[in-house]
Amino acid sequence: MASATRDEWPLALPLAALFIVCFVAPFCVLLALSLHADAQARAFSVAQYAKFFGDTFNLSILWSTLWLAIKATLVCLLFGYPIAWVCSRAPARWQSVLVFVVVLPILTSVVVRTFAWIVILGREGVLNHALRALHVIDQPVPLLFTETGVIAVLAQVQMPLMVLPLFATLSRIDRNLGDASAALGAGAWRTFFRITLPLSTPGLVAGCILVFSACATAFVTQTLIGGARLVYMPLHIYQQAIGANNWPFAAAISVVFTIAVMIVIYALNRVGRTGKAYGDAR
Amino acid sequence: MGSHVSRRQLLAAGAGAGLYAMLPFARAQSKSLVVATFPGTWNEAHRNLLAPYFRKRTGASVTQSIQLATEQIAKLEAAKGGRPPFDVAILDEPQVFDAAKQGLIDEYPAARSPNFKDLFPVYQDKWGPKISLQVIGIGYNPNKIKTPPKSYDDLLNPAYKGRVGLTALNSQLGMAFLAELNRIKGGTETNFDPAFAALRALLPNVGAVAANLGAYATLWQQEQVDIAPYNFNFVQTLKAKGVPVEFVVPDTGLVGWTTSLHLVKNAVEPDLAVQYIDSHLAADMQSEMEKPPYDIIPTNSKVPLAGAITQTVAKTPADLAKIRGFDWTKINPQRTALIERFNREIKL
Repeated sequence: MASATRDEWPLALPLAALFIVCFVAPFCVLLALSLHADAQARAFSVAQYAKFFGDTFNLSILWSTLWLAIKATLVCLLFGYPIAWVCSRAPARWQSVLVFVVVLPILTSVVVRTFAWIVILGREGVLNHALRALHVIDQPVPLLFTETGVIAVLAQVQMPLMVLPLFATLSRIDRNLGDASAALGAGAWRTFFRITLPLSTPGLVAGCILVFSACATAFVTQTLIGGARLVYMPLHIYQQAIGANNWPFAAAISVVFTIAVMIVIYALNRVGRTGKAYGDAR
Repeated sequence: MGSHVSRRQLLAAGAGAGLYAMLPFARAQSKSLVVATFPGTWNEAHRNLLAPYFRKRTGASVTQSIQLATEQIAKLEAAKGGRPPFDVAILDEPQVFDAAKQGLIDEYPAARSPNFKDLFPVYQDKWGPKISLQVIGIGYNPNKIKTPPKSYDDLLNPAYKGRVGLTALNSQLGMAFLAELNRIKGGTETNFDPAFAALRALLPNVGAVAANLGAYATLWQQEQVDIAPYNFNFVQTLKAKGVPVEFVVPDTGLVGWTTSLHLVKNAVEPDLAVQYIDSHLAADMQSEMEKPPYDIIPTNSKVPLAGAITQTVAKTPADLAKIRGFDWTKINPQRTALIERFNREIKL
């Protein structure tokens, strides 16, 4: 990609200003707050961080949050890739219909969607009733307030974030490459793994980054479907800030969480670059 | 399409609407008051009864901000020194001490509130009038549980494995239940070990711990839980919506706390805020709120107890006075530690 010319950079100024005012500045406040020993913010100290890392309870919450987001991302990828592929190969008229269907979930509020899932996953919910009617089970299986339930809902709620970038890259791939591969004797799977997959890496990585960060921080879905017994970082931060009124600690947890999510995103980006280089080399 | 709007016209109209909304005089014609309210019975009663009453009285409209007392304290603390996010706070007994200590609320200007003197003296708090008493007992689903529970010990019945519900301690319901469980099991306001021992015994039966009260109501609607500690008012409101839920007073009696309205410090519309609070104290307003589906216990001495309240909670004001409370000034300092401990105990 050609780098931005000298005359174009001012176009980024409004966004940069917004970013500085609405993200960088508050983050600095958060960082400063986290470096205080007590709520009155009198003396600088790293006590909050020592408290966080000195307690396996906090570490287990951090780990389970990242692991939850990874699992939800994989589920999204598993279901989202085929959908994106079908969308990219569909005739133009169908494409817009399919994309609309994919985007549909974003058109309702996440709170509404999540409450709808409570109705679906509940003990007396749609799913349990259907499974019982089909004699698959005779006792309702617990889905609400389980991690399986949270993953299923996260995957559905965040699916468009995976499908849209994938769809964009997949539809840009030159179809002649696939034909050429077939003409040279490669099977469908070989073509997929040697041609399609490497070329779609940028979209795949973009989708994974979006879904991962959205799932890790999905406060509404995590708390409504997971309840208070499955504690993930957003609920932990909320409880410390609002329930316990312990702002310095809540700030420290937030900083740790932000950095942890950024590390995963950085790692995904690295994978993306390797994949892209691989794709370019072919 | 016949109508033809150019892009320029559309932009002009949009900019005009934006400007109009920003002009102070455009909004002055109909003033608006931002008030905090609790989820459940409270926001419904305030929206359906109090807001129209207040509008008739002042011509001003009401914007509700639905949140728990703990959330209000956190938000007011964050906005301290600046413009508060709402002008009227609704607090439960424990948070009143915090709010007063942290300088988040003003003393209530009783002289400007004609209905204040009609409250029973115990409810005439200098930090803000008590608007009701909230009581908790046991809620249960009569379709699933044929013999009504008698005591909190019934929650431990192995037959209810996975059927018991709880809420996190950020709600007063959660905190008051824990305090009552503690008292029954021999604890004191400074020693909560018995409560946590009882909680550990109860956990195998617990099917859900709702992270917030809104989700708690959904659990009953979806029949996800069959038996749980619950507020009298919330049960009444859910019942009126056709949800199968009944309220019983456990053999250890009811536990309650007062709920009050407060004028927030540096309020944007302090006069309207006082009028709003005063409207809540009016005898005719409290009689309306006492009717189903809200069944809100009145604090105005001119409003006789009636309806479901007299059947379940109290026949006379003297009965109300006998409802057990807790010394929140002793419990409050441990709140952070209790929440922390509770979260560790319940974590899966």
